Amino acid sequence: MSGIIEVENLSFSYTPQSTVLKDISFEVMPGTLLAVAGPNGAGKSTLLNLLCGTLTPKSGIIRIDAAAIESYKTEALAKKVAVVRQEFVPVFGFSVIEMVLMARTPYFGQLGFESKADRQIVNEALKATDTIQFALRPLGSLSGGERQRVFIARALAQNTTILLLDEPTSFLDLKHQVGIYDLLKEAQLEKGKTIVVVTQDINLAAQYADEILLLGADNSYHIGKIEDVFFPEQIEKVFGVKIFTGSVGQEKFFLPLGKFAKDSGQINSKPNSS
Amino acid sequence: MKELLIPRKLVMRIASAGIVLVAVMFVCSLIGTESVSLKAAFGGAGQLPTVNPDYEIFVKVRLPRIILAAIVGAALACSGVVFQALLRNPLADPYILGISSGAGLGTIIAVLSGFNWTLWGRSPIAIFAFAGALGTVWLVWFISRLTGKFHVTGLLLAGVVVNAFFSAVIMFLISVAKGEQVYATIFWLMGNMTEEDFFVLWMGAGCVLAGILALFNISPQLNVLSFGEEDARNIGINTARIQTIAFAAAAFITAIAVSLSGLVGFVGLIVPHAVRLVWGPDHRQLLPLSGIIGAIFLVVADTLARIIVAPAQLPVGIVTAMVGGPFFLVLLVRHSRKVSWLK
Repeated sequence: MSGIIEVENLSFSYTPQSTVLKDISFEVMPGTLLAVAGPNGAGKSTLLNLLCGTLTPKSGIIRIDAAAIESYKTEALAKKVAVVRQEFVPVFGFSVIEMVLMARTPYFGQLGFESKADRQIVNEALKATDTIQFALRPLGSLSGGERQRVFIARALAQNTTILLLDEPTSFLDLKHQVGIYDLLKEAQLEKGKTIVVVTQDINLAAQYADEILLLGADNSYHIGKIEDVFFPEQIEKVFGVKIFTGSVGQEKFFLPLGKFAKDSGQINSKPNSS
Repeated sequence: MKELLIPRKLVMRIASAGIVLVAVMFVCSLIGTESVSLKAAFGGAGQLPTVNPDYEIFVKVRLPRIILAAIVGAALACSGVVFQALLRNPLADPYILGISSGAGLGTIIAVLSGFNWTLWGRSPIAIFAFAGALGTVWLVWFISRLTGKFHVTGLLLAGVVVNAFFSAVIMFLISVAKGEQVYATIFWLMGNMTEEDFFVLWMGAGCVLAGILALFNISPQLNVLSFGEEDARNIGINTARIQTIAFAAAAFITAIAVSLSGLVGFVGLIVPHAVRLVWGPDHRQLLPLSGIIGAIFLVVADTLARIIVAPAQLPVGIVTAMVGGPFFLVLLVRHSRKVSWLK
């Protein structure tokens, strides 16, 4: 079995002087949850934009479902890959259900309206994301966490096998962060979706992801199972910060320690104080 | 809280708005400095129409002007809707990308050159205004293309700069022009309805209707585009195609409107907002309803322009701004609590 996303020798740069991604190769198996982590400027969002066709590689190949990404028309690619960017308040006051229905726009009939089947798909997406109770409210009246779930609902309503998310939890409180990841995990386990999530939160990534792609600011990268990628020395090196590593049950967690951390000396000596 | 739009509801609303438009046009055609009796105008089959003053006023003076106002109002309102969606900017209006100054420049060149030929019954002013409008939009589009892809900020900046430059050229030409030429230009710049013959009206109506239908056809895609270009492409919208159609059709109907009536302001800004405040932002509904309500608004405004200082007449652009501004503010205050993008 081969990966549903295959990346071979991918390089990308915005300007000739600075390379963002250099010679990256990996594949994502169908039905896995891959977390992409790394410091600012390591190219996480750039990679996501390459995987959904918004950016074009300078060199190398990206294959979606065994076909090169350039060979897809816009509409055909949207049937394979859905994207959740960081949530925002749109200019005009569309309601939740109106926005989620827009995911079905390429399938609308001659009159420009959705079919019964489209309604069904949208209803399922609203239920799966627990957004159906405010389906008729305007997007602008929702909290950040609610709005993020609506954006995920729209991506689910595209009925794609692949779901890409760019920092879906960045402005959310702890409960909503976990809520979003629970939702993604359910989509993965119940619907068999392949999920790539770009994140700053290495603890939630370690908890939920099957594999980690760790991008370094120096064009290095590491991919593999959590324990092969997330170990204290590597995290300290890639992020350039002192890390305290602990564990609860099978879950590992990593805490950054700053210059003014109190009594940090004694913790540093025994990193695995669980 | 609002319910979801369904086709039956949309058709019902468009039909009711259409009936209101016809009723308003009918009532307005009876209002004026001369009282007109329909009975006298169309009664008496034996009479020759040419010697019937009621018929003359009703059919040859009032009706063409009212139809013209409806065409121009519909075109400007629809084009306002589309520019607001394309630029994702509630402050956009049909003139934001330089159509007004381009048309103005065309007009003043026509006035100064003193041409007196006609083409399909149109004076050189209308033809120069039309060419100036479309030429300017093309120029702005071309400049923004040089900055890369369809870039909203690039487009807006190019529009603002071209607008400012052409306005300076207009001011220069006005300052060197003769008195009566200046008067003709300024009257045109204020936006003004005149009596047109039916051939011009049907041509204008046909072009505007075709443009609006093309825009209505892409209205679901305009909904998605208002969330941003990348988002729309990820959903499967061919954004380049939709933007080109929307841009070309909106510019075309605006240029037609401008060449028929000069720069009638405010319609293209406030009618889309008013419709959005009351019925929501869905372009499948917003576009046709804005068209019809824009037509109603301009027909009423032009009727006021005819009678306020009778027997003299005001340019309709003054009425749209003076009536439309306060009306819009009332609507804004009353509905703003319901509408999220104002917060």
